[in-house]
Amino acid sequence: MSVDYVIADPVIASVAARAAIDTAGVVRLEPGLRGLVTAWTRAARQRWKGLDPAPADGVRVRTTDGRVTVEIDLVTASADQAAAVGRAVQRAVGRFVTEQTGLVVDEVSVSIMDIEDR
Amino acid sequence: MAMTDYELPCERDVEQVWERLDAVGAGLADEHELTCPHCRAARESLLALREATTELVAEDDVPPALFGRIMSAVRAEVRRGSMVALPTPEPGFVEISEQAVAAVLRYAADTVDGVRARRCRVRTGVDGVVEVELTLAVSVRNVAGGAALALVRERVTAAAAARVGLTLAKLDLLVDDVYGEPGE
Repeated sequence: MSVDYVIADPVIASVAARAAIDTAGVVRLEPGLRGLVTAWTRAARQRWKGLDPAPADGVRVRTTDGRVTVEIDLVTASADQAAAVGRAVQRAVGRFVTEQTGLVVDEVSVSIMDIEDR
Repeated sequence: MAMTDYELPCERDVEQVWERLDAVGAGLADEHELTCPHCRAARESLLALREATTELVAEDDVPPALFGRIMSAVRAEVRRGSMVALPTPEPGFVEISEQAVAAVLRYAADTVDGVRARRCRVRTGVDGVVEVELTLAVSVRNVAGGAALALVRERVTAAAAARVGLTLAKLDLLVDDVYGEPGE
């Protein structure tokens, strides 16, 4: 008997987001306009109270032919080297998604939109 | 470090674009607004956002943090168009916006006494090499001396490596202004 597990992309996204936010040198994820409008729509139902972006805003997950790719937009801290933080996020996300879901992430791409003081 | 302003690559800022949104819509655009791709991209984003949120804006108690968040999102959207690849051995890519790199390099140049960074343009060539053009104003004390510029070159190159993780293939320094200092 074979059992197929299906793990939805939003689940992968929120696991990836947690790994990224917990990486040293990451200030925050950057949801961009699409993420903001999504958060906004969600917030409208809650009368503004829940406007903070949901944990997965700023993360896009694509599954094609069993290959999982994750793209993350974020802001890094000025005290850290941006490239090193980017690589650390790539490794942390790959490792954490596999730990939490059993899925192997084929590619993690990181876009650093800004550098900020913390 | 002033890296949280809302400046576009053309040096106008998002707030200005927001304020001029209706004027431009009414055909009162200036020459820059008619031709600048960055302003146009920001304008399209803001218009889309405004349309998407018209109903919500009618509601009361809009949190003050909202404005900053919109500006930050719009700026990120504009920045997405110009990214620089950073080295990584991992599968996938790491990239950084040219504007973020420019802010770091301007800040490094500013640490040199008697030098003020003005514009910083970061460009990626076809073969992936990164070239930077930094425009400076120097104090009258530094006009004759290349020492200050050599120090700028050193600090900017070091900041690109240490803060960003980037090796610059080319760094052009342009002095386009001289300023006086009190008592001189």
